[in-house]
Amino acid sequence: MDISRRNFFVAAGAVSIPLLLAGCAGFSTAGTKPTPRKGTLTFTTWGTDSELAGFKTAIARFEKANPGSTVTLNAVPYEQMFTNIDAQLQAGNAPDIFRVPYYTFGSYAGRSQLLDLTATLPSGFSDRFTPQAWRAVQNADKPFGVPHHTDTSVILYNKALLASAGVTAIPTTLEKAWTWKEFEGVSEKLRASLPDDKFPFAYNWQGNGVTRWLSWLFQADGRFLAKDLTSPAIDSKAGRAAVDFTKSFFDKKWVPQNDSVKSTTYASDIWYSQTAAMTWGGAFLLPDAASTLDFEWGATFAPRNVRGGSDFGGNALVATAGTKQPELATAFLDFMTQEKSMRDFCEAASLLPTRADLVESGITFAQRPELSPVFIGQASTVQAADSGQVASPSMSKIITVLKDQLEQAFIGGQSTDATIKGLSDGIAAATAS
Amino acid sequence: MTLRVEERSAAPAGGEPARPRESGPRRSRRRRNLGETLAGLAFLSPNMLLLGLFVLVPLVGAVSISLQATNGFGSGRFIGWDNYVRLFSDGLFWRSTLNTALFTLIVTPVSMAMGLGIAALLNSVLPARGVFRSIVIVPMAISGVATALIGVLIFDQNSGILDKMLKFAGLPSIPWQSGQGAAFASVVIVTLWWRVGFNMLIYLAGLQGVNPGLHEAARLDGANGWQRFRYITVPMVGPSSFFLLIMNVIYSFQVFDIIFVMTGGGPQNATSVLVTYAYDTGFVTRDQGYAAAIGVVLLLLTLAFTAIQWRISRTRDQVE
Repeated sequence: MDISRRNFFVAAGAVSIPLLLAGCAGFSTAGTKPTPRKGTLTFTTWGTDSELAGFKTAIARFEKANPGSTVTLNAVPYEQMFTNIDAQLQAGNAPDIFRVPYYTFGSYAGRSQLLDLTATLPSGFSDRFTPQAWRAVQNADKPFGVPHHTDTSVILYNKALLASAGVTAIPTTLEKAWTWKEFEGVSEKLRASLPDDKFPFAYNWQGNGVTRWLSWLFQADGRFLAKDLTSPAIDSKAGRAAVDFTKSFFDKKWVPQNDSVKSTTYASDIWYSQTAAMTWGGAFLLPDAASTLDFEWGATFAPRNVRGGSDFGGNALVATAGTKQPELATAFLDFMTQEKSMRDFCEAASLLPTRADLVESGITFAQRPELSPVFIGQASTVQAADSGQVASPSMSKIITVLKDQLEQAFIGGQSTDATIKGLSDGIAAATAS
Repeated sequence: MTLRVEERSAAPAGGEPARPRESGPRRSRRRRNLGETLAGLAFLSPNMLLLGLFVLVPLVGAVSISLQATNGFGSGRFIGWDNYVRLFSDGLFWRSTLNTALFTLIVTPVSMAMGLGIAALLNSVLPARGVFRSIVIVPMAISGVATALIGVLIFDQNSGILDKMLKFAGLPSIPWQSGQGAAFASVVIVTLWWRVGFNMLIYLAGLQGVNPGLHEAARLDGANGWQRFRYITVPMVGPSSFFLLIMNVIYSFQVFDIIFVMTGGGPQNATSVLVTYAYDTGFVTRDQGYAAAIGVVLLLLTLAFTAIQWRISRTRDQVE
């Protein structure tokens, strides 16, 4: 049989095209065996000892599952994390992956610094997360990261101090959480029983934690951004109720004066020193509290008003827009949010999962495991509309507005009306720029 | 030019220019001068290079960014003087400027006065003065952040040691963290604790260069201790005072770490200074163009102060 050169090339082409297409396919499609991915990723994060240990374990598992791939972990102090990341992004040598709080996520996603994962994530990927978690990593309705874990604040209380004030009925289910009115009664009882230099509670809204003030707004069924996520919506009955109620904490001496939003003293430290009977705190405090506190303490749900509400704390994992390995980076993000990876990480580090199946089945913290349902239950009060507002690209500027205005309201004697006006004007200016 | 004229005048008319007799030594002197110039430049070049790279280039960059609207990433948009115009109507900028000026006006003279007083004491025949000198100097060896953390422990108004001592003594506690004046005082006190050692050290070096005969002569003339201190010690440490004045003012203009850690600029911006405000604007709200404009204003203030001091110093040199 004569084979002409022309026929040979046609035949060779016909054979090689499927192979070439297969090579270009990148992510494995349904029904085919996953293509081993190779390459090196750099991953910058901060973390507690248990968080870093969790990351190292997950990275080792990822490298084993993807022979030829390596992930270089760069652990930095939180204080340096974002000045470094910003400088690296500006200089064009940012890591492939980094960890970012949800309230900072929008600043990067809204400024084209993160990898749009729409094309590289497998179909149905979003189904693994709770709606509020998935909403927290969206920008312009596109995913720019994965919700790695969450955390939220519940009430941590000093059992002896509450008992001595006659507060013995502590809510044990989300449905029985104190209403604002009931919480007011508890605070008044505590105020009456405690000496002047001790206080009913301390609230954890210091520094960038000022976003936790929004929990009161959400409990009053309010919003700070309208549905377009640009117009201010805080000038409302709910906004006024939230400012009024939280301002009264200082006027009625329910919190120490140095518990304001710009204070450098954290609420947890005030509670640790038994200066306050209660504090709001995330699950991340459990390991420290369990090992260091020498008084008996428990946890209960945050108060509710029109509805329950809480802060959507925690962090996302994101890939940078300039990564040279978008597929490997996406595969890593996928791996880190798989059931085992997330369960191991959250249980060891006392953090809450963002996967719907883990929220459903529950997890068990390594420290104070009996408190796990309180935190998971509290996290369920966060609505997707709440976390979506916090993911605004203007959030970093809105945080400054919240800090300035609430500080004036809490310890500067600024009226509720003036505070609402300041917040509304400030948010409008922040979203306009 | 002069040299060429001289050479031409030395050449006989109509013939080959005669080699002037003194041209050999002149050429070698010129060569030596050139060599010295090159050596000088060579010695200077590392400093100039570093200065250019790490001071001048960023400075030009900061001025350039201050003329732009930025969001922290990518290239900014040129907006001319808008950021500077915005400063005029920014209440927090003026509050921070006034706080910076007040901080400078308190910390500079007080730290110098305390430094001189302690140096005068430790320059005398005090027993164990080496130990005392070390105690005063030790804060210098501690980082500003660590110093501020110690300050937080001392001035915490709920569980700090200072308020506990006040209470123990039957005195009312002071709202170091929520009272505006008290918070400002707390950062001044911690700064003084940190800075007095440096002032003392410089003054001590200055005092040890003062001729003891001057004091002896004054004593023989009937001058008492205060008069000797006022009319001999203080004038004779003039160069040290000038150096410390410049250093303290520049430090005070640039104060950051102690305030950032102790008060974060609060309460109600009572301790916000220009650098903490620029930091918040640049790295928290990511308005880096505006933050750069604040930085440039700070630079201009420092330059203006240095220029004034420069003129005063020349006068002082003449007097001395």
